[in-house]
Amino acid sequence: MKFSKWFSVFAVVLIFGGIAVSQQNAKKRRGRAVLDIPKVEEANTICFALYTVSDKTLKLTAQLYPLEEGAPLKACLEIKENGVWKEVASTEIIKEGWTAPFRVETWDDSKTVSYRVIHGKKATYEGTIRKNPTDKEEIVVAAFTGNSIHPVHGGDISRQDIIENVKKVDADILFFSGDQVYDHHRHLAAWLKFGRDFGEIIKDRPTICLPDDHDAGQPNLWGESGKISTLGGASDGGYSRPAAYVREVERAQTSHLPDPVDPHKIQQGIGVWFTNLNWGNVDFAILEDRKFKTGPAGRVPKQGPRPDHIRNPEYDPASVDVDGAVLLGERQLKFLNSWSSDWQDAKMKVALSATIFCGGAHIHGGANGRLHADMDSNGWPQSGRNRALASLRKAFAFHLAGDQHLATIFHHGIDEFRDAIWSFCVPSIANLYLRWWEPLKPGRNREANSPEYTGDHLDGFANKVTNYAAANPEKKPAGNLLNTRSAGFGIVRLNTGKRTIKMECWPRNVDITDPKTSQYPGWPKTISQFDNYNPSSWGKAGEITFNVADPVVEVTDEVSKEVLYTVRIKGKTFRPHLPKGATFTLKAGRNASDQTVATKLKVGSDKQSITLE
Amino acid sequence: MLVWNETTQGLAENWDDFVGSGADDGLVQRWLGVLAWLYLAGTVCALTVRRTSTYQLVPLLLSVVMLGFLFYAKYLGAQRQLPMLIEHGGQFLMPILLVLGLKMGPRHPMVMNLAIIAVTLTFAGHGAYALGLWSTPSNYFAMTKVIFGWEEATTRVFLGVAGALDYLLCVGLLIPKLRIPSALYACFWGLATALARPVAGMSSELNFWGADQFVHEALLRAPHFLIPLYLAVFWYKPRKKSTGDLASVTESVPDS
Repeated sequence: MKFSKWFSVFAVVLIFGGIAVSQQNAKKRRGRAVLDIPKVEEANTICFALYTVSDKTLKLTAQLYPLEEGAPLKACLEIKENGVWKEVASTEIIKEGWTAPFRVETWDDSKTVSYRVIHGKKATYEGTIRKNPTDKEEIVVAAFTGNSIHPVHGGDISRQDIIENVKKVDADILFFSGDQVYDHHRHLAAWLKFGRDFGEIIKDRPTICLPDDHDAGQPNLWGESGKISTLGGASDGGYSRPAAYVREVERAQTSHLPDPVDPHKIQQGIGVWFTNLNWGNVDFAILEDRKFKTGPAGRVPKQGPRPDHIRNPEYDPASVDVDGAVLLGERQLKFLNSWSSDWQDAKMKVALSATIFCGGAHIHGGANGRLHADMDSNGWPQSGRNRALASLRKAFAFHLAGDQHLATIFHHGIDEFRDAIWSFCVPSIANLYLRWWEPLKPGRNREANSPEYTGDHLDGFANKVTNYAAANPEKKPAGNLLNTRSAGFGIVRLNTGKRTIKMECWPRNVDITDPKTSQYPGWPKTISQFDNYNPSSWGKAGEITFNVADPVVEVTDEVSKEVLYTVRIKGKTFRPHLPKGATFTLKAGRNASDQTVATKLKVGSDKQSITLE
Repeated sequence: MLVWNETTQGLAENWDDFVGSGADDGLVQRWLGVLAWLYLAGTVCALTVRRTSTYQLVPLLLSVVMLGFLFYAKYLGAQRQLPMLIEHGGQFLMPILLVLGLKMGPRHPMVMNLAIIAVTLTFAGHGAYALGLWSTPSNYFAMTKVIFGWEEATTRVFLGVAGALDYLLCVGLLIPKLRIPSALYACFWGLATALARPVAGMSSELNFWGADQFVHEALLRAPHFLIPLYLAVFWYKPRKKSTGDLASVTESVPDS
């Protein structure tokens, strides 16, 4: 009896304890990164600093390593004027996340200035606040997503190639679209590593970071205005991690962005950061496409094992476009409608968000991973997607995003193919999870000699999309862990003189200034700014000639009174592109469309000359 | 890692053969569908098993291997957090308890001692997380905040208290005078935490009230309250006549 009792205890303890202890002591496996916060000398407590300048306001956030007990909780920002360092701001260090957010108003953005952040008596961190490049014709954006650090994906390979290439092209602005951090519990440790990896280029140019799902500590994010998620996978909507964690993440990654245009907090006291940044005469809308989006679980009929994955190709796409499902939300749509009509100091518009407005991949993770549709993409909800695109095309905005682990170029359609904006989804820095754009049928209306996967398609939600390029990974990635998995980064050249947008998609560990270096197939691709709202069913009105160059024009439907589009035209002449069978009013002005200059405008109407005050 | 690693290569020659390459299915994909049917067979056996039916008892015992595999995978997925391994003790040992209970009788000391171990493992694992000895899973905070509407500080205190009580009940199960209240508390708390999933997640605004998303979360945690309930019942109603070979803990009469 006693033997049986003790034997049973012994057996269970042995089974559980033995496995556990052996695994606790096991050597760290290759494949998973070791993530620690290193001990640093007092002189090196400042890890890196991010900044933006907008509307004459400098916002700079210094990221510190955790400070010792008793260390001063104050940091200073100095700039160099005439060879002398001068303090321009000081701030309290926020212990939750160890950030030091500085703010300097009445900033003169016409000069490049050296800065340094000072903490205590020894720690300094230096960089450069660039002047606003309004005199440059080409604004270069270096764009990134998906910063896996795990060796199994090549995440442990140095980012020095990216650093060197960004320096070579002298990017004017950096855009990290999300998943800068993949660790769901230790954002600070991973963010500090991100800073060590990229600080060298971040410190000298404006940087936009959008915290995405993994940054917020969850595999997918349908923020649903800040509700609490309790379902594994978070598809019930909301945030899985405590609000304090989310706030700390957002403070670290976004407190240097221009002030939010509508700063009201959402549930759990979580802030918002959607806003715009005007740099080099390009107006960037910085969108939060996750924060307000509705979670699909329980709201749409399940079409597979996961609430957010549709595996049944026979399903009715309209059945998931349910009432009440939100994508950007009313607050952001209101902002976009205002932003699209504001062309002060802007020649081009670009929207930045975590992901693209369509289901941009067919195969997820493996051969049997064909999904008909993925509700994590912004292809769902369709009505919300169409509202977002309708707002963006009114400004001829180009869309830059990431998240998909698969670089693509799409021209989006709402009512007809190619009647809305273009998007470029950039490749992952190191690719955690493979996806392929591999439609079952060849696309229609493909360009000559283009792969069959390009052309007009309906995505899994029956959204109209036209693909121009997809950097599909190899079917059996082997050898080069980065490029066989289609890792890389994007460069976007926004030419404000020619009004062109050139998309470049580069693999890792190449010299992008070497003419022999190839981009991923399908790139580069250059489009006109005006291709972002150019439905093929429309026609042209007669040419309008202004007395001033580059005025702002706005076209309004005379029946619905809805603004069709607003844009700063290139040069003095303009042929309005219009829907057939309707009449329009044309407003114009030097910096805002504040004068009604023509009425009854329609396709085929006569040319005219207009004098602006 | 359990069945394949670079050194042993386990059940497949290389990693692609094991997980699939994207162009084809690997061992994992091919076996996932099979495993679902095996789990279903285990469920049928559990519902219909008789003490004389070897054809049902043996598969039930084999299902422990499958559960062990599943929980070990969860443990690896949690980056080898010890509580993740031991908190599944109740679910893991449930089929063994059923088989031993049928073969040896529900009052047999081996069965009851194994049940004590099962409860202890489950609550020690959960308690370690709730106390924050390992990083507290975010859904602990989320469910508590949704159900009670508390702020984070209050929630943290509540979870700390609940975690401490988890350990106290584990100790209480070993003390004759405390074992029935401890088992009853374990039963209550196991039921409460199992129901917390649907209570926090279900809503009249969702299709099927969200039942298809959350009810199974409560069902799979049934051992968390059924095993302590079994202990409480058999401790409260001890066998009328002792055979002399039962463990002392099973012979005691409750103080009530």
